Amino acid sequence: MIVVLVLCALLGAWAAWFAAHDRAVVLKQLWGAAVVEGVLVVQVVVAAVLLLHGWDGDPLLLWGYLVVALLVLPGAALVAFAERTRWSSVVLLVAAVTVAVLELRLWQIWQAGA
Amino acid sequence: MRELPQAPRPDRPATRSGLGVVMISVYAVFAVAATARAGYQVGTKLEEAPVAYLLSALAAVLYVVATLALVRSTSRSRTVAWASVTTELVGVVGVGLLSFARPDLFPEPTVWSHLGEGYGYVPLVLPVAGLWWLARTRPRTSEVPADAAPPTSPPTPTA
Repeated sequence: MIVVLVLCALLGAWAAWFAAHDRAVVLKQLWGAAVVEGVLVVQVVVAAVLLLHGWDGDPLLLWGYLVVALLVLPGAALVAFAERTRWSSVVLLVAAVTVAVLELRLWQIWQAGA
Repeated sequence: MRELPQAPRPDRPATRSGLGVVMISVYAVFAVAATARAGYQVGTKLEEAPVAYLLSALAAVLYVVATLALVRSTSRSRTVAWASVTTELVGVVGVGLLSFARPDLFPEPTVWSHLGEGYGYVPLVLPVAGLWWLARTRPRTSEVPADAAPPTSPPTPTA
């Protein structure tokens, strides 16, 4: 959770730097996004295991956020290939912020049922 | 540092290039978020706050339509984008003000409650940005192919 937020902040800052310098997303940033995505997959697995051990919340809500969070960065990666201008960096920034917001909401939802 | 291939910037403005991809990606995020939220609300607890939840569903549909229209970027889809983004602006302002005046109608928040407060006021900024972008990318007459229909005028805003 904290890991995801820190990684999103780093990725977002990196993308913002590129956007400010009129540069498109580079492959290294997509590797960075892949690392975040990997942590998100781990998070899904951990959540699934914890759910089996009993959690008093709404699983539908939780899964909604878990799955949507997985889709955001691949979407930004597609844009990075299609749009070779600074705007792909802005999109990556938007994606990093979105994942961070989803992560905060996930935390709230988890706490509500813990 | 290894670069992905660089493509030349398009000379002709389209709603899906440059800043447009940012616009579309933010719209897409809201389309997914609003659809998921509305689907969940309407599917599991519609009776708790029917007005709020059905408005959530309407907002979701508008975000999806606007996203797709911006992606398609044809002259007809521009008209659709104008209509959906204008409705969205009317919706966020109308519902936003109504949620202050009649909080009893909104026991549960919607995307548009309190002018989109719960979403960092992005729902309020987004339609304005969308209209600005549509106006900026409006094709000039010289750029319209001879056989194409004349650019349609934006629909009159409903209020």
